[in-house]
Amino acid sequence: MKRIWILLSVLALAAAVAPFTGPFVILLLAQILVLGIIAMSVDLLLGYTGLPSLGQAAYLGVGAYLTAILATKFGFGLGWDFWLVVLMGMAAGAATAGFFGLFAIRASGVYFLMITLALGMCVWGLAYRWNSVTGGDNGINMRGRPKFGIELANDLTFFYVVLGLFIASFFALHLLVSSPFGKSLVGIRERELRMRILGYNTWLHKYIAFVIAGGFGGLAGVLWAHLNGIVSPVDVLLPASVDALLMVVLGGPGTLVGGLIGATVVVFLREYLATMVQWWQYVLGAVYVLTILYLPGGIMGLFKGGKA
Amino acid sequence: MREVTLEVSPGERKAIIGPNGAGKTTLFNLITGVFPPSSGEIILFGKEVTRWPPHKRTALGMARTFQITSLFPKLTVLDNVLLALAGVGRAKLVMWRPLSSYEKFQNRARELLDGAGYWDRRDVQVRNLSHGEQRQIEVLLGLASDPKLLLLDEPAAGLSSGESREMAEFLKRLDPSLAILLIEHDMDVVFDVVSSISVLHFGAVVEQGSAAAIKRSERVQQIYLGTG
Amino acid sequence: MKRIAVLIAGLAAASPGISQELKIGFLAPMTGIFAQIGKDMENGFQMYIDEQKGNFAGAKVTFIVEDEEGKPPVGVRKAEKLARQDNVHLLVGGLLASTGYAIAPVSNRVKTVYVLSIAAADDLTQRDLKQYPYIVRTSWTSSQPHHPLGKWACENGFKTVSAIAADYAFGHEVLGGFQKAFEDCGGKVIQKIWPPLGTKDFGPYIPTIKRDADAIFSLMVGPMALQFPKQLQEAGIKKPVIGGGTSYDEFVLPSMGDEVLGHVSALQYSAALDTPKNREFVRRYREKYGKVPSYYSESNYTTAQMIHEVMKQTKGKWPGPEKFIQMITQLKLDTPRGPVRFDDMRNPIQNIYIKKVEKKKLHGYDKDELWNTVIQTYPDVSQFFTYKKEEFLKQPVYSRDFPPCKHCN
Repeated sequence: MKRIWILLSVLALAAAVAPFTGPFVILLLAQILVLGIIAMSVDLLLGYTGLPSLGQAAYLGVGAYLTAILATKFGFGLGWDFWLVVLMGMAAGAATAGFFGLFAIRASGVYFLMITLALGMCVWGLAYRWNSVTGGDNGINMRGRPKFGIELANDLTFFYVVLGLFIASFFALHLLVSSPFGKSLVGIRERELRMRILGYNTWLHKYIAFVIAGGFGGLAGVLWAHLNGIVSPVDVLLPASVDALLMVVLGGPGTLVGGLIGATVVVFLREYLATMVQWWQYVLGAVYVLTILYLPGGIMGLFKGGKA
Repeated sequence: MREVTLEVSPGERKAIIGPNGAGKTTLFNLITGVFPPSSGEIILFGKEVTRWPPHKRTALGMARTFQITSLFPKLTVLDNVLLALAGVGRAKLVMWRPLSSYEKFQNRARELLDGAGYWDRRDVQVRNLSHGEQRQIEVLLGLASDPKLLLLDEPAAGLSSGESREMAEFLKRLDPSLAILLIEHDMDVVFDVVSSISVLHFGAVVEQGSAAAIKRSERVQQIYLGTG
Repeated sequence: MKRIAVLIAGLAAASPGISQELKIGFLAPMTGIFAQIGKDMENGFQMYIDEQKGNFAGAKVTFIVEDEEGKPPVGVRKAEKLARQDNVHLLVGGLLASTGYAIAPVSNRVKTVYVLSIAAADDLTQRDLKQYPYIVRTSWTSSQPHHPLGKWACENGFKTVSAIAADYAFGHEVLGGFQKAFEDCGGKVIQKIWPPLGTKDFGPYIPTIKRDADAIFSLMVGPMALQFPKQLQEAGIKKPVIGGGTSYDEFVLPSMGDEVLGHVSALQYSAALDTPKNREFVRRYREKYGKVPSYYSESNYTTAQMIHEVMKQTKGKWPGPEKFIQMITQLKLDTPRGPVRFDDMRNPIQNIYIKKVEKKKLHGYDKDELWNTVIQTYPDVSQFFTYKKEEFLKQPVYSRDFPPCKHCN
């Protein structure tokens, strides 16, 4: 419980200082929160269920492309119906995961990694190749953010909306991981066979977790599209999935909050280190390797052993 | 396995003994549904369950423990038991309510842990318990779902003789209506706990009978007790 | 990757009037597979600044380079950073067409000029121009050099062409432009093969090239450009090859071998241009960076010159984005690539050179090298070539399926 209060205070602090951070930092903060949502969805799989997904960007892509296509081709989702798009993005992410899960959940460990990677590449291929719908290599430029009484085109307003959705996602996932279902995921991570003997249909539990993670991936995608104003096949590419996975590893798997911490570190390192030195990627790489070697609990592990 | 016919009646306490590699654990895996049998059938509480997955058999009232401790090492003693409790029934798919808010589970967990003397240490991670303690939790997890049939795979494995005796006492105290199928090498425990014994050798049942009769059987002496 | 390239010349005291500042945010790939091209881009721009000792008519130039990694979303983020955090007056650069498409809307959001010094996406200065009041292009549209190339091919006796082009927007637009002009003059494109961007093994594609075609049209980029002619030669195919601009530009040419001799391509620039202005440019560039300038270098060098010319007119005072766009499009300049002015859709009108790869000594260098010898010049070519602007804009942007391949079967 203490951890939640710390998180809420940090977020409240961020909300309070946001108006004074300057026009670029506010974008970075929003970016961190969106990445925080996708990282939490990866954490649900990796940290709680023990499924290392390398295809999470696929669901982000589905949500983002859906948002961009609805907005540019049908003018849909630029007013109050933005909230409908949020729901549709989640549904689309979940549906995609529901389909992919049929293949992926049969595997575990490194095979799960490979299958999710391959499925992610399918979505990339579709984004890249299906020119008439996705704009192919050029991607889709959005014309502007929604407005409904408030104008999301204002970066500060947009940040608050993203913050709200992040907090909602966090509480939903936090409740989920402490529920009987959430605890069953941890049991599956720890010892799947025992769970089956105890009466759990472990396939179903993993499948449902996979679908839920896809849903939150889709949500992140809707916000991602509006954040950048462009959706591009690069967003769906493998490095995006790897980033999400590494953010969780860096922040601390099985903690939910860890994803946000990982996203913060990665975003700031990437933006500011990249401005200073050309070999910033090696620094980031070294940070990852050192974390994996010496901090198996991630940054959260530094503050007393996280309780799964 | 071949031509194994085994029956356990309600409340019966039966042991399966046999030398290493006789197929005892394999038999358990068939009964619980970890592997499907290539032929034959398995009937549980009057239902044909030969092709059922493990979780459905558990729902019928079967439970099992493992020869090699199969707990959730990074979870607390309480969480281990709660997971076992939630395994039967519908609550396991609930996502919108904390597990800690289910009073029936909490009360039952307290009952079980109090009975075994672990309530004070409910928040200790299982991996920090001694081997003997882990074996007891292993059995507790088997009991948690209130089974009608409990399969115990060498509950006394790796225990000292004192601990084994404690384990036997513990098993004897269990609800008499619970049927137990026990695999065990420690013959003191076996003769202490069960009334009938089946002897397994090279995947087949070679001898069945009351504990006393098996103790006297020459053939059993030969293949198992004498040489073992 | 910020490099503040302010060359306060040793004689700061002797250069009076540096009281104002011009901040230029430059976007080019500095890491990843396009890093070397990004270096060419940066070098071209940097060389011009250095020649002016960092002083554009009284404004001190602050040149900030950001790595866009060749990825559109990264380009967007970096453009936002340059505009919002560094408060640059102009954004310049962006390599890939897709990056250009992505950054254009940013220029609206941050109300900052965006000079497309490389990114060639056709529609930015065609059907989409109205949406983007703050952009201007100083380079070319993908199809611009390839309209004349199509006409040239047709007029030089090629009747049927089999085309193989990288499968992405730039490839579609290059081939589209070639096909349109070629077929309008009577030629026939009888086949289109689309290997994915980044293909290195053309084994599956080369045998499918139709044997009865008079020539092969190829559009390659980067490493693809090196591999395709080699593998074509190994397969024993001796048909004439006509290529899109990037198939033989000076960025790839020095790494090529004799297999490309005689191949023809088109672009608004060739390092082999025999004009005093270009000879001088090549000499200085080669002295400074040890290599022949590519169109990536020339285009950015010229872009810097254009910005300087505007600043001359304002005496070093930043005129504001709207006024800047208006002023830069009024320029008529003599540049290394030749005379350049702008059409009313903010894209250059310039010479297009039909070039043939030859091995020879040029510009006084003593070694035999590969050069893009100009064999024909189409003067003052606009992005609409000889077509009427209104009618041209009525057709859809060139794509995989447009113009349709009527003669393929």
